[in-house]
Amino acid sequence: MSHLLDRLNFLRSKELDQFSNGHGQLTRENRDWEETYRNRWRHDKVVRSTHGVNCTGSCSWKIYVKSGIVTWETQQTDYPRTRPDLPNHEPRGCARGASYSWYLYSANRVKNPLVRGQLMKVWRQMRKTLGPTAAWAKLQQDPILRASYVENRGKGGFVRATWDEATEITAAANAYTAKTYGPDRVFGFSPIPAMSMVSYAAGSRYLSLLGGVCMSFYDWYCDLPPASPMTWGEQTDVPESADWYNAGYLLLWGSNVPQTRTPDAHFYTEARYKGTKSAVICPDYSEAAKFGDVWLNAKQGTDAALAMAFGHVILREFHLDRQAEYFEDYVRKYSDFPMLVKLEEKEGRLVPGRFLRAGDLDGKLGEDNNPEWKTVAIDEVAGGLVAPNGSIGYRWGEGGSWNLEEKAAKAETRLKVSLVLEEDHDSVAAVDFPYFGGEAVGQFKTDADFPQVLTRNVPVRRLKTPDGPIAVATVFDLFCANYGLDRGLGGEWVTADYANPMPGTPAWAEKITGVPADKIIHVAREFAQNAEKTKGKSMVIIGAAMNHWFHMDMNYRGVINMLVMCGCVGQSGGGWAHYVGQEKLRPQTGWQPLAFALDWNRPPRHMNSTSAWYAHTDQWRYETLKADEILSPTAPEGDWDAALIDYNIRAERMGWLPSAPQLKTNPFEVAKAAKAAGKDIPAYVAEQLSSGALEMSCQDPDAPENWPRNLFVWRSNLLGSSGKGHEYFLKHLLGTDHGVMGKDLGQDGATLPKEAKWHAQAPQGKLDLLVTIDFRMSTTAVYSDIVLPTASWYEKDDMNTSDMHPFIHPLQAAVNPAYESKSDWEIFKAIAKKFSEVAPEILDSQTDIVALPILHDTPAEIAQDQVKDWKKGECALIPGKTAPNFIAVERDYAALYDRFTALGPLMDKLGNGGKGINWDTSDEIAALGALNGTRADGPAKGRPIIDSAIDAAEVILMLAPETNGEVAVKAWQALSKATGRAHAHLAEGEHHNKIRFHDIAAQPRKIISSPTWSGIESEKVSYNAGYTNVHELIPWRTLTGRQQLYQDHLWMRAFGEGFMSYRPPVDLKTITQEVQDKGDSLVLNFITPHQKWGIHSTYSDNLLMLTLNRGGPVVWISENDAKSAGIADNDWIELYNTNGALTARAVVSQRIKDGTTFMYHAQEKIVNTPGSEKTGLRGGIHNSVTRAVLKPTHMIGGYAQQSYGFNYYGTVGSNRDEFVVVRKMKEVDWLDGEATKKEAAK
Amino acid sequence: MSANPSDRTLKALSVLLCYPTVDLQRAMPEVAAVLAADSRLTAAGRRALRPLTQALAEQDIYALEEQFVMLFDRSRSLSLNLFEHVHGESRDRGGAMVSLLESYREAGFEPVTSELPDHLPVLLEFLAHQPAAQAQEILADAAHIFQALAERLTRRDSAYAAVFAALVQLSGGMADQSAVDELLEQPDNDPTDLEALDAIWEESEVRFGPDPGAGCPQVRDMLAQMDPSPRPAAPPANLV
Repeated sequence: MSHLLDRLNFLRSKELDQFSNGHGQLTRENRDWEETYRNRWRHDKVVRSTHGVNCTGSCSWKIYVKSGIVTWETQQTDYPRTRPDLPNHEPRGCARGASYSWYLYSANRVKNPLVRGQLMKVWRQMRKTLGPTAAWAKLQQDPILRASYVENRGKGGFVRATWDEATEITAAANAYTAKTYGPDRVFGFSPIPAMSMVSYAAGSRYLSLLGGVCMSFYDWYCDLPPASPMTWGEQTDVPESADWYNAGYLLLWGSNVPQTRTPDAHFYTEARYKGTKSAVICPDYSEAAKFGDVWLNAKQGTDAALAMAFGHVILREFHLDRQAEYFEDYVRKYSDFPMLVKLEEKEGRLVPGRFLRAGDLDGKLGEDNNPEWKTVAIDEVAGGLVAPNGSIGYRWGEGGSWNLEEKAAKAETRLKVSLVLEEDHDSVAAVDFPYFGGEAVGQFKTDADFPQVLTRNVPVRRLKTPDGPIAVATVFDLFCANYGLDRGLGGEWVTADYANPMPGTPAWAEKITGVPADKIIHVAREFAQNAEKTKGKSMVIIGAAMNHWFHMDMNYRGVINMLVMCGCVGQSGGGWAHYVGQEKLRPQTGWQPLAFALDWNRPPRHMNSTSAWYAHTDQWRYETLKADEILSPTAPEGDWDAALIDYNIRAERMGWLPSAPQLKTNPFEVAKAAKAAGKDIPAYVAEQLSSGALEMSCQDPDAPENWPRNLFVWRSNLLGSSGKGHEYFLKHLLGTDHGVMGKDLGQDGATLPKEAKWHAQAPQGKLDLLVTIDFRMSTTAVYSDIVLPTASWYEKDDMNTSDMHPFIHPLQAAVNPAYESKSDWEIFKAIAKKFSEVAPEILDSQTDIVALPILHDTPAEIAQDQVKDWKKGECALIPGKTAPNFIAVERDYAALYDRFTALGPLMDKLGNGGKGINWDTSDEIAALGALNGTRADGPAKGRPIIDSAIDAAEVILMLAPETNGEVAVKAWQALSKATGRAHAHLAEGEHHNKIRFHDIAAQPRKIISSPTWSGIESEKVSYNAGYTNVHELIPWRTLTGRQQLYQDHLWMRAFGEGFMSYRPPVDLKTITQEVQDKGDSLVLNFITPHQKWGIHSTYSDNLLMLTLNRGGPVVWISENDAKSAGIADNDWIELYNTNGALTARAVVSQRIKDGTTFMYHAQEKIVNTPGSEKTGLRGGIHNSVTRAVLKPTHMIGGYAQQSYGFNYYGTVGSNRDEFVVVRKMKEVDWLDGEATKKEAAK
Repeated sequence: MSANPSDRTLKALSVLLCYPTVDLQRAMPEVAAVLAADSRLTAAGRRALRPLTQALAEQDIYALEEQFVMLFDRSRSLSLNLFEHVHGESRDRGGAMVSLLESYREAGFEPVTSELPDHLPVLLEFLAHQPAAQAQEILADAAHIFQALAERLTRRDSAYAAVFAALVQLSGGMADQSAVDELLEQPDNDPTDLEALDAIWEESEVRFGPDPGAGCPQVRDMLAQMDPSPRPAAPPANLV
């Protein structure tokens, strides 16, 4: 429109009024043009939400809504203030989050429930004459009909379905599976509850009421550092990012804070302004490297060698040549350094053995309760042996002495750390330590080659025991020997010279890591000096890069050793900061009853995913790593010559790891048989297993009875992102086209497993039904049989917490779910409802038998102080002691929906709790009844209602100590019973603080200190892990009750990991002569770090992020490597090995170290991926060239901190030891006729 | 307001672009008759619609549904949400949807569908109830999109191409060719399976040419696409 015509150019109207002495003027000209600008930013409402994505952001966002449509979002800036000397949390949020609303209406959104066309057609046909379960039965029993959709997975062919139909198929499949094989053949995978805990709970609640299997994620993602449970008995607990600011020295080790922790990076910057020094350790010149005062570019995979050299320097200068007082005091009270270790004889030589226990001694030091679980040290005060307070034996069966007071048998003690002084030892003994550095292969090989066994002198004390004379040494003395430190005791393999290239020294580490020795010495010295001056304010921010190696425990334990030596753990500004993938679920104990239906029946079925996928995707059939390749030369006698799957089977039957499925026979049938035989269920199962009449499923993963039959994937992109061994998933689990190029052990003529039953022909297509719930058409969705459209993060009510900050944050439905989508909570409610309608066709009330492994933080965790296998006749099968427990659980399938939507009665009866403590929660149940209302009738009559997602959120908030001050006080009081110390003061002021969903909608709220976590929320210190252990004297939940740097379990010793040492990457042998084409000579180590333009696979298909990156999958390689293979920047290249192949563009960069290639995970297969010349199929995802490999030490169970816990301990899916052949592609084929023609025309 | 559309052809085209159902199959003779009788369409245009109405009437419903999902649910380049082609993932998309929604409301209609306001069948149904001149004007604004979709569907031998060709005719003739070309520069994709989803990204390849100052043309193009610049190719205000 023309404003010129609406405006007076030459005249002034007389009608115009003036005001303010002529400074203001009323006009009548047309001002419509202003509307454009006004409307652009006009909105009806602003709603607080966040992005429930797998990052630890939990950032507060304002979502602007106009006419029911999200128009844009901006960062919120109303976090509660920090204390005066600390920078604010704001701003939080990153470019990825800011692009989210563009996702909401994207063409990649799933709009309707989708079902594979062939399946839908047959289903509707069958349903004309049959009921739902009968229809599913018929479909499954006809191999041709089943194959018609199974073989077409991943090849398009979806039709829309109504919610009614989609949920009916799902419910019928679940009911049929439970009836035919057992409910534990229904699996569900969903990660990171903290990112949207109600949505997670929706699925896991359904599965737990059904008897299905909830699969773990943290271990499978390889983000779980097993070193944490080993050392601290804690899954992972870390400082909030604000605590970086309190550090005096920050070591960034394999972590790329500016790239991957965008909303927190400002604390890192601010700390540097304050004067904090920072060293960065990473092989590539990363974004973080630029921030370092010093950059140590250690060769990838050799971090443990570097850590060992750091430790060598710290021990030498701060513990031996000069004893820093603060350090000495710290390690005496808070580490296992003073504990005595028995030296065991093997072929006339001594090796470090088990911790000495009170039970080993005559008179058991007067300890009648659990003497085998009370470790022993020497008391400086009285000079004798004592069993100090705090070891795990004090935790169970008695109260009041499970604390870290310097006491034993109620008397004051002062523990002796070292026996090095003449008067303290009886003799000096030669002790064997394994050396693994010589096992390095390929590019990791160095001339740092030494014997496999290094014998070093250690001061020992000789003791008489009922079993004869023994020699003992303190952990500290053995520890120093292990680091190769000369203490004037003579003997070989120790030195006082940093320049001596003997194992453990900086000169030795230089050869392996490539980092100059003087830099190592410099950083180690500064790190410790700072810690000494500040009492522990040296911090290590540690990244996934360190944890994804097969021998990740060595990397982590190397770092933890440094921190403990320097007294950093449990001190604000110090300690370890591992922010990888667990995203602390802060109100955990409030969430668990909801998530696992503990209010209706216990226990739920939990499974460690790594072992499950290893077995069920048949990756074990291709195993190239043999146990003897990783066994220690100092291993005690034993039956170690077995396949990795065999170790897992042993662990399952001894009750160490969980099983899924559990028994080859349907548990419903077993329960019936037990009843018919008039026997108690555990006794019956024990008897049948011992006789061999019953079989555990783990022994034969390929038998059709033992296949997982139904799989739910929600809030996850299992196949596009986390699925190590992607091509094996496609081949065996899904049964569709795949790119596996290697032969299995049978075809290869290799040694077959001893215990796992071998089938000459491996099954393909184990799953009957794959259901994916997502808001976008992810790679997993594309391969599914049913895709259910879920509400996105601005369309549902939920909650989100993070380990990076102490606030609890809402997700809120700013708008209704777009298209036909529903929230996860509503979806599982709908499935539950349908299930309750459909299941009674074939299932009524059933007695189920759940096999429960020996769990950490329960009295059972002190089950097996010796390893004994009932199957080998070494002991009797005692459920819950030498084997899993077998627990009867009553299921009422017709009432499943009613149970899903109400809080059950078990909470009133059994109370609530977690991590070994328990409290009465009847007040909270009553309050929930008043808040949410109670059911008027039906199977859940009188119970509090959980109808909406907000109702579910209120359950969590009400029950959790972190969000209900009254519960926090109760929880601390419950802990006091065990420790004998008063802790309630940590929460007393918060007694009446009860956080509701509408409170967090108004503003993110800070949580309340709770004994679930080892740090506190206070006005004085930032949250930091281990704080209450050090300042409240609460023991770590380990065998010794201290930070445990020595691991004495038989399997730890057998595999050479009693102490930390450097173990080079393992040889996975995936580049065989058969697979490697002639002329392809470039072989690189394949590394998959976190990317910049996506959060895992999320956002990686977003046009904005693709534009900022290169618009599709890329792989980084160094200039030298690129040149050697004739690759120029942006060429299409192909990476392959026996596991499969992938295609991507090359990014040639000086950033990358020669010998490595980076592929940021997880770039979607659905975007811009041409066909592979190698497989003739579309290039895979980053996991197409990987395969999971299990480590026996992660299977240990029934042994204090090394006992199973869901997402706490278990095998992990490491993937960085992999090598790939890299070559330039000759011709880019998009596997698309038209596109190829177009390409040619250009 | 009457439920009887003033323009039954537009309504028929709206119906043709709906997800195939048995009801839709049954209605095909009626739909075909309406289309066959409209003289605004050329004889060739009317003839071209026949294979589609015939297929929709006669083919196996599952085949039709699979085809529909593959074409219109799974391929960004064939999305029936018009603003996918106008605004892509630009921030303006939300605002544009709000304006469209408000125009429906102003005209006395309340959307009762789970589809977004820019879903083509929704728009066509709305236009079927608008005065002919106004409907044509709005169609003309989107003609270049119809033309581009028609060409993409033709390349794929899909009978649905005829619907878009008909829309171009109803909009009063030819679309602005430069705008069509611009849209067609966006690579096509084939929804038959995974592979096809790629082609849309195919041209995002970065080539660092001899002139280092020229920058990256792909990035420039994509940024331009996200940029809410009032290009002549973008439909004028009444659609945006």
